[in-house]
This record gives sequence, structure tokens and C-alpha cells, in this order.
Amino acid sequence: MSETISTADSADTGPLAPAAKRKRPVGFYLAGSWLGSIVLLGLFGALLPLRQWDLASYDYLGALPGTPGHPLGTTQDGYDMLSGLINGARISIFVSFFAVLFGGGIGALIGITSAYFRGKYDLIVVSIFNIMLSIPNLVLSLALLSTLAYSSPDKPATLQRRLIILILSLTIVIIPILGRIARASALQWSSRDFVVASKSMGTRNFTIIRRHILPNVAPAILAIGFLAIGSVIIVEGSLSILGIGVPGGASWGSMLANGRGNIAFSPHEVYMPAICIALTVISSNWFGDYVRSRLDLREAKI
Amino acid sequence: MTNLLEIEDLSVGFRTPRGNLQAVRNATLTLAPGESIGIVGESGSGKTVLSRAVMGLLPSTATRTGSIVYQGREISDLPRDEVRDLWGTGMAMIFQDPMTALNPTRRIGSQLSESLVVRLKMDKGAARQKSVELLRRVRIPDPEGMLRKFPYQLSGGMRQRIMIAIAVSCGPELLFADEPTTALDVTVQAQVLELLDELRAENNTAMVLVTHDLGVVAGHTDKIAVMYAGDVVEYAPTKRLYASMKMPYTEALLNSIPRLETPTGSRLPVIEGRLPDPTKEVAGCAFADRCPYVSEKCRAEKPPLMDAGDGHLYRCWFPIGGVN
Repeated sequence: MSETISTADSADTGPLAPAAKRKRPVGFYLAGSWLGSIVLLGLFGALLPLRQWDLASYDYLGALPGTPGHPLGTTQDGYDMLSGLINGARISIFVSFFAVLFGGGIGALIGITSAYFRGKYDLIVVSIFNIMLSIPNLVLSLALLSTLAYSSPDKPATLQRRLIILILSLTIVIIPILGRIARASALQWSSRDFVVASKSMGTRNFTIIRRHILPNVAPAILAIGFLAIGSVIIVEGSLSILGIGVPGGASWGSMLANGRGNIAFSPHEVYMPAICIALTVISSNWFGDYVRSRLDLREAKI
Repeated sequence: MTNLLEIEDLSVGFRTPRGNLQAVRNATLTLAPGESIGIVGESGSGKTVLSRAVMGLLPSTATRTGSIVYQGREISDLPRDEVRDLWGTGMAMIFQDPMTALNPTRRIGSQLSESLVVRLKMDKGAARQKSVELLRRVRIPDPEGMLRKFPYQLSGGMRQRIMIAIAVSCGPELLFADEPTTALDVTVQAQVLELLDELRAENNTAMVLVTHDLGVVAGHTDKIAVMYAGDVVEYAPTKRLYASMKMPYTEALLNSIPRLETPTGSRLPVIEGRLPDPTKEVAGCAFADRCPYVSEKCRAEKPPLMDAGDGHLYRCWFPIGGVN
């Protein structure tokens, strides 16, 4: 009898509850394979025998999908859609992945320490988070980007510099979002007996945070991190459409921005990057949702 | 013999939105090396707070006054870092609920060796060897295999043994056991208590055993402090307390333990009423409203700690068996 109680209890408290052989939903496989192929194409797409994405071919202006040599057609300016999309995948995934990685890392560090130490530090952190969260994502990143990107007019804004600044401002946007999640989760774990028990053995605070709190908070950050990748892709796209994201049709968002004017003549110029953005966002949401429900303690089945 | 621990006039309060909550009032206790003391009382009587106050594990909203002398050294006003040096190697605590006191994400081995590595600066191999030895000492079968297990794979009794192994890993001189058996069933309770006694005998470890069960403390302590509403109301060597208890509260506690010889169908005696509001000061005896022997003097004036001889202290105007 005590056996059943103890198993029930452990499933309630442990993110590492026995891996039940549950059937994964179809959406998980679809989302996973889309995300996987996007990442693979982003990493190794440059090795494929395709046209250079930024080399216009003036024989094919606004060719429709299915044209020989241009399987997904070309833009009105003669750029190949397929290689453009693959290059866009690289940029979009790169930007959103690193923004979420840095933002999540810094946010988790701030959130966990503020939940663990409480006091004035916590109060200041929460206030700053709340102020940042009260500004809409797009507006905040717009403000950050425009102040950071155009500081010196003499220097040419190279793609590299623009990307770094874009990642930096998106990182700042992500910090309070993931930081708050980390804080909420760490708050719950910091008062657990095993933290007090470890403290009562004379373990130092940062050792406790690293060994006892971080492993328990990590699943929550991971799940929300996947959701955040989707939002960051959208924000990046919106910034590009507004003309201050990635320039020159390099990312999906900026392909959309460039093709916007030609929608009447070559609609594929608009809907193809749009579909890519939509599928990636939906996939990362599904994936994140799955990870969350898999680790969500209240939903855990025994 | 010098005392290991001397607590004098220890008071603990908590700042709450409803005012100061007085959890412990002027507690005075002593403990010799290797001795064990039971702190008994119902829920909310301040026994856990008392033990945590001695360790220095109170939340930041708590205020603590009085003196705690450990091995001849005043520790109540030590800075955090120096108190931490005492934890684990000097004093250690066994927690009440073995289900929540182990980290669900880490294997037993790494949790057990944590304090060995952190506190005793052992290298991994030595810590592993010591962990196996500790597990063997707390009677865990297949200690090597146990190191690789996660807490969810263990029963409550096993986990409590692991908790005990962790607590004694750095060889403490003083062990706080905060209701170590409450979450366990009766047969496992007895095993765990016996195990604690054996471990203590091997290393001459003193113990503060916090419980609400007078039956548990009877066989495993040298002396007992009964607490009620933050006061130590009776304090005596264990044998003497059971032979001639003075406090009506102690008697009531003892009467509410179910016995085998009570006829079937009879009602279990309970202590009617409840603890007074800890945010308000009571003028007289805090137990007056629930006491069968109450009189006017009890409500008007708080009884002082009185001495019945042989180290037997009590706090009552009308003790059982009369004033000596």
C-alpha cells in the first residue's frame, strides 16, 4: 500500500517520473520533422547545388513555381525563391535560436537567483521585469533596434552588424519573458525540503542553485523557450517588414517585405516565405506545448 | 561533564501581517554529548521552530532572542558563514517528510556524496566508497545499486534511511530529527528509531527528537520537554516524567494515545478546544481553556517554571499530585 502511495507521490514531484510509453501525438512528429528539416537546411543548405540566393538571373523575372532551374520560381527582380528560402531559414533560425539562448540563459540566471535570495534584489528584478513586460514585444525591440543600430552614421551597416544588433535587442526582449518563468518555477522549488536539507548540511548557496534548483527549473524554461522561438521569428519578420530587421531579402521576413509590392504579379513571392514563417511558428508552438505537457506535473499520469 | 548544547531564554517570533506571532517563549534546555532529548507537543506548539532556531534555519521574517551555546561557544549571533561551517559536521537535521526532502532529479549517489564532497572535500572515489559504507550502515540492501537510483524508485522507509545516511554522513555531534517517523507506517517507524539509536551509540551523537507522539519518545530519549503554545511546560528526565507527570497537559497528551486494552467501541479521549491564537498574548496559563483542573488563578496569572526536584520542571499552579 505504501508502495503505491510513494509512486504516486514521486510522479507528482519529479520531472523525471518514469517515462511512460505514451503514444506521441501526430502533431509532434509533423512539427518535429518540419523543425528538423528547417534546421538541417539552415545548417547545410549552402552545400546544395543551387543558385546563389543573392544572384539575380535576368532571364527569369517573376517566374512562376515549376519553371526549369527555379523549382519555386523567382522574384520580380530575378532572385531564386528556393535558395532564398533556404538562406532565410538559416538567418531566421540563427537569429531566433541565439536570441532565445542568450535571453533564456541570462533570464534564467536573474530569475532563479532573485527567487532564491528574495529580499530587495528580488523586488528590483520583479519591478524591472514588469516594466519591460508592459511594453509590447514589437515596440520594445523596435525601440532597442533603432537606438542600437544607427548610432554612427559613418559606419556602413553591414549584414553582420545588423544581425548582431538584432540578436542583442531580441535577447533583451526575451530576458524578462523567460526570466519571469524561471523565477516563478524557482520560487516553488526554493522552499522545498531538499533545498533546506542541503542547506542544513552546509552547502553553499550557488552550489544549491546549480545542483538542486536548476535541474528542476530547466524543463519549464525549455518548454517556454520553444514557444519563445516562434514569437521571436514573428517579431523578426515584423521588424523586417517595417524595414529595420535584416536587410536585402536575407530573412523570411525581409523576403516578405521585398515582395509585398509585387503581390499582384507574383503572389508566390509573398506566400512562400509567409508559409515558412507560419509553419515554423506553429511547429515550435506544438513542440513547446508537447514538451510542456510531457513535463507538466499536474498532467503527469502515473 | 560539559554540555554540548545550552539553550537559554530562547524566544522566536515571526512578523506577520496580523502582528507578531510568538512561536517560542523563553525556552531553556541543556543537552550533554550523546544525550537525547524529546520535544513533544501538538501541532503549532513551537517544537519545529525551536529546533530550527537552534540550527539557525529560520526564514528571514523570524526574530530570535536569547542565547544558544554550542560546545561552549555562543552561536546565536554568529555570521551566516560561520554558522554554515557548523552545519553538517557539527549539527545536522533529519527532515520530517522523506518524500519531499530528496531532490527528484538527482540520483541517490550524487545526493549522498554531495556533502561529503562539499564539506569534507573528499574526491569522487572516496566519496563513493564512503556513500556505500553509509548505505550499508543504514541497512540498505545492495548499496552499490542504490547509488544509481532516483528517489521515486524508493519506498518511504528507504528514503528516510537515505535521509538519515545523508544527515550522519559528515559525522555530526548533534542530530535534529524533526518528526522523522511521522510519514512512515508503524513497523517502519520502529525500525527507523532503532537505527537512529544504533548510529547514535556508535558515534556518541546527541539527538533532539521532535515529535507529537509521546509513545515514540518514551523508549528513545533521556529527557523530555513538553511544549504548549510556545512554552516549555514540563521538562524532566524521561523515566521521571512518565512516573510522576505534573502537567495536566502532559497527562492529556498521554491519555489520547490509543491503547490495545481499551474496550472496542469506546471513544478515544481527545483534548477539547484548540491552541490559543499565537498572535495574542494570553494573560494566564495558555492551557487554561482546555484544562480539566482549571481555576480562577490559572486565568489571571501565568504560572512560572517550578522545580519539583531531580531536574523536573513544570509550569502549573495546580500540578498533578500536588506541589512538593
